[in-house]
Amino acid sequence: MGTDRYAYQSRLRRVSPLPKLALAAVALVVCLCCDSVWVGLVTVLMMGVLITALGGLPVTVYLHFLKVPLAFLVIGGITILIHSYPAGTAVVAALPVGERLWGFTAHDLYQAARLFCKALGAVGCMYFLSLNTPITDLTMALEKLHVPRLLVELMELIYRFIFVLAETAANIRLAQESRLGYQGFRRSVNSLGTLSSMVFLRAWRKGQSIYTALESRGYTGSLTTLAGDYTPGLWLLPLTAGVAGGQMLVFCLERMAVG
Amino acid sequence: MRQSKLNQILLTVGMLAALAGVFAVNAGAMHIAEGYLPVNWCLLWGAVCIPFVVAGFFSIKKRIDQAPRAKILLAMCGAFAFVLSALKIPSFSGSCSHPTGVGLGAILFGPLTMTVLGLIVLLFQALLLAHGGITTLGANTFSMAVAGPILSWAIYKLLRKVNAPASVAVFAAAALGDLFTYVVTSLQLGIVNGGTVKFLTIFAVTQVPLAIAEGLLTVVIFNVLEKYSRAQLQELRVL
Repeated sequence: MGTDRYAYQSRLRRVSPLPKLALAAVALVVCLCCDSVWVGLVTVLMMGVLITALGGLPVTVYLHFLKVPLAFLVIGGITILIHSYPAGTAVVAALPVGERLWGFTAHDLYQAARLFCKALGAVGCMYFLSLNTPITDLTMALEKLHVPRLLVELMELIYRFIFVLAETAANIRLAQESRLGYQGFRRSVNSLGTLSSMVFLRAWRKGQSIYTALESRGYTGSLTTLAGDYTPGLWLLPLTAGVAGGQMLVFCLERMAVG
Repeated sequence: MRQSKLNQILLTVGMLAALAGVFAVNAGAMHIAEGYLPVNWCLLWGAVCIPFVVAGFFSIKKRIDQAPRAKILLAMCGAFAFVLSALKIPSFSGSCSHPTGVGLGAILFGPLTMTVLGLIVLLFQALLLAHGGITTLGANTFSMAVAGPILSWAIYKLLRKVNAPASVAVFAAAALGDLFTYVVTSLQLGIVNGGTVKFLTIFAVTQVPLAIAEGLLTVVIFNVLEKYSRAQLQELRVL
């Protein structure tokens, strides 16, 4: 599902999740704080290089994943881009509507581009984490970071159950579609309603039987597993500093070029 | 005169094209994407969510202490919320979007439980599907796991109290909860970048049909559940 499949194939899979988390977090924060076009672009590029060169992900897959949040970025960008101006303002492109001009000035264009690039950079940082770290490793890292035990356990259980339920839902959907269950709006709503409620019912029943099965094996209220074998991955820490340094450098260069 | 007529035609065509574009790409537009909010707003929304999440955490803890079975069932409910939000919902416009599950979750599990489950589901959506993000987790949690569910739940309880039929209460709770989530998202985006009204108009145009579709869907789900699983609903204290 989504990034998960690639995270298990990543060459960084066996590296301890904490330094990976640190790298993504530092790059993310620096990218957000700099708030500039070039830092955003450089960040998404650097993350791409790290993910493909270190993690071994094909470039096309990375590009495909970058397209996912694009819909939101474009709509949001357009919304911020278009303003209404009194007639006679120096605009780049605009449509006259009555007395006013609807369009954007050079400044608006820069603002929208800055937001777009910043968000793209941030998305790259998130992908470095999620394309190299399976969720199970991440929940273990969260436990080490003293997130409450109950929360982590709920996360682990939910993560496991997502796949169980998604499979159930996909099977029901296939059965419905092969019986023309999604022809027309009315029938689609009915079919989808039946599907959702059946998934809920099965989830509930499955939950009951899982609990019974656990209890008969001596379950006392928490599932404890051993952490996997990780390499410490301390070499990622200088790399983190390098990435942050690169971002700062670009930021300073841009400042100098503008100022 | 001719000039203004031409302008009007151009404008109409432009607006229609924009609308079509908005409909086509609506799928992931619900969650605020990673990196879209500045650091201070990320922190602020995160801080706003903390009391709700803590309250939810303790309410879940209480339930689990009373009945250990509740942990497995709650996890199933969380997974159900994730799977529900990944389903494609049919829409009048012919395009597809995803149900938020805000209303259904709030009615079934209560707003407090929903905050914690919602937080986990949103984190997984960000990591697994790149819907939303880690820095915008606070803002998204507030709109989808705090504000929306609380409103849905309040509407449901209120309508049931005045003896409205269950289907009306469920429809109103789900549709209005969905819309309210969008209003909050628009406000969150608008405060930072300006243009709240613009965000609201775009979302209103695209969301009203989707909210109605989600409302209808939730009624269908609820009817089936009422028929086949009264015991579970009673256990969740919905009925």
